[in-house]
Amino acid sequence: MNEPLDDATWHRLDRRMLVVQPVQELRRFLPLLVGAFLAGGTARGGGLGWELVAVAVPVLLGVARYLTTRYRIHDGRVELRRGLLQRTLRTAQLDRVRTVDLTSGPVHRILGLSTVRIGTGAGADQDLDLDSLGRDDAQRLRVALLDRAALEGAPLTDPGADPGAADGAAPPEPDRVVLRLDPSWARYAPLTSAGVLAAAALLGVATQVVPDSAWRLDRLPDLTPEGGGWVVLLGVGLVAAAVASAVLAVAGYLVAHWDLTLTRTPRQWRLVRGLLTTRETTVEDARLAGVVVREPLGLRLAGAAELGAVVTGLGGEQKGTLTLVPPAPAAVVAGVATEVLGSRSPAYAPLHGHGPAATRRRWLRALSPVLVLLVVAAAGVLLADVPALVLVPVALLLLPAAALARDRSRSLGHALVEGHVVARSGSLVRRREVLGVGHVIGWTVRDTWFQRRQGLVTLEATTAGGRQRVTVLDVPEGAGLDLASGSSPGLLAAFVRDGR
Amino acid sequence: MTTLRPPAHRVDPRARLMWQLGAATEVVVLVTALVVTSPVLDLYDLRWWMPALLATYAVGRVGLVPVWRYRVHRWEVTEHAAYTQTGWWARERRLAPISRIQTVDWDQGPLERVLGLANVTITTASAAGAIAIAGLDQATAESLVAELTVRADAAPGDAT
Repeated sequence: MNEPLDDATWHRLDRRMLVVQPVQELRRFLPLLVGAFLAGGTARGGGLGWELVAVAVPVLLGVARYLTTRYRIHDGRVELRRGLLQRTLRTAQLDRVRTVDLTSGPVHRILGLSTVRIGTGAGADQDLDLDSLGRDDAQRLRVALLDRAALEGAPLTDPGADPGAADGAAPPEPDRVVLRLDPSWARYAPLTSAGVLAAAALLGVATQVVPDSAWRLDRLPDLTPEGGGWVVLLGVGLVAAAVASAVLAVAGYLVAHWDLTLTRTPRQWRLVRGLLTTRETTVEDARLAGVVVREPLGLRLAGAAELGAVVTGLGGEQKGTLTLVPPAPAAVVAGVATEVLGSRSPAYAPLHGHGPAATRRRWLRALSPVLVLLVVAAAGVLLADVPALVLVPVALLLLPAAALARDRSRSLGHALVEGHVVARSGSLVRRREVLGVGHVIGWTVRDTWFQRRQGLVTLEATTAGGRQRVTVLDVPEGAGLDLASGSSPGLLAAFVRDGR
Repeated sequence: MTTLRPPAHRVDPRARLMWQLGAATEVVVLVTALVVTSPVLDLYDLRWWMPALLATYAVGRVGLVPVWRYRVHRWEVTEHAAYTQTGWWARERRLAPISRIQTVDWDQGPLERVLGLANVTITTASAAGAIAIAGLDQATAESLVAELTVRADAAPGDAT
């Protein structure tokens, strides 16, 4: 199993993939198949030919894919050759390999197979996909790809004098488990925005599925007479939707994150998770640009948080952010963040606030829509025949708006901590973003006419991972530029003036 | 207090004319659409303030904004960094190190071709980090591209 892969010979996909491919192709052709059988069954005879074609084509496609796909590691490159009529050869330098993703769907797992996706950071369409290899072969390929990449990028030196402190000190013992998911954390799932979304989706489905007649007044005679029945019905409906969405959120959490294990290897972080489809993502230290601590309001009130890793070159549906810790107790998140960053401070040290002008902007932005609404309502009461009672609920809206403004202005903050740019903002979805200084590419300084009058700017550190930027909202210009100069001194030196 | 000084160079003065022509085209299309539709569809009574509003918009769009924009737009490329300032109401200053440049693009629309102008766009590994300089003199743009390409090539690493 440990024979070297770098021997210039071409390797094929695993033979067992011949079984997966037809099953998957069949699934893709299922609508067509059903159509073929229905047409063949209900219409006149002679449909059998089409059914055979519909079954045979996907099977042949799978065989063709098996026969024509080959890969090898040779001369510092990984090469993938495929195609029957239109042949393609895709190559990537080993030192450009950023991430290796092993995914096994249910069918793959039964057969002991894994799909390998090699990320090069040039966009998801440039990734190298191998569907599929035997589990051992896939692991061997991962080791060959990433260990070679690590060795060639930076030759191993004395482990005692490891300079990689900025991205987490490498522990001497190999493969240490940093985090293993506790299934009881699934209780936090309904508190995330995903839980709320599930509720909305469920409500949407319910209104679509339940026939229109069920909503008609005259079909509900027992409930309507006093008018109070509707309130009961509405209440029951809302409670049912809330319970169902909570159950869905918990189930979704467990399916996605079951058995989540974060492992520290000497030069990489490895994350394995999934109940039905298992995914294994390996990220090199050099590709881990920073972390994001997300605290949606619900999680924050429950003393929980979630942690994402900002990874350069992570493609596909993960969009550059890898969920290291799904919603979990804040202490767990803090522990993992400390391990990943090599220090607790970047993710938890106190931040510099953005001052009274930024606070005023938060209040103005939160209150002005409600105030406009209030003026409109007042005009309606005075000029038209709108009952004055309308003013009460509108005025009550000021309370949540004020709470939001207060929380948003308290969230604002930034700092330069131990070689990391740190920025925090938001209330309903509060995010604290931590980005290693070495991963900051450039800076964008944005200000509107209003911001200029108050001496504020919105600062962005651009980066190749995560959301492609870390935003410092409404920071006083001087403090913002100090942050930028402090983290990229060579870049800004020629353009800043210290006009003290 | 630390401040950021503006970049050294203004864009070409013809850029102002280009923005004005672009805005004028937009206003002409809008007015034509209104003039054609109002008698045909009979949607609304023409009040005195409607043409006034439109005229104000046209004057602002053609007379004011391009001039404002020209006063804001500036650029500078040094040995280590590219630095631009764009916008008008909302101003945006972008800084990127030469060592992180991935591509340098040069392009020219029809209006720019007539006026002898061109745009230069510098991209980095961050999708949020592209730097665009609009309304450069054609020759300046060409030499800037050549210069940037050489400098970016000289920088080591894969620019992420």
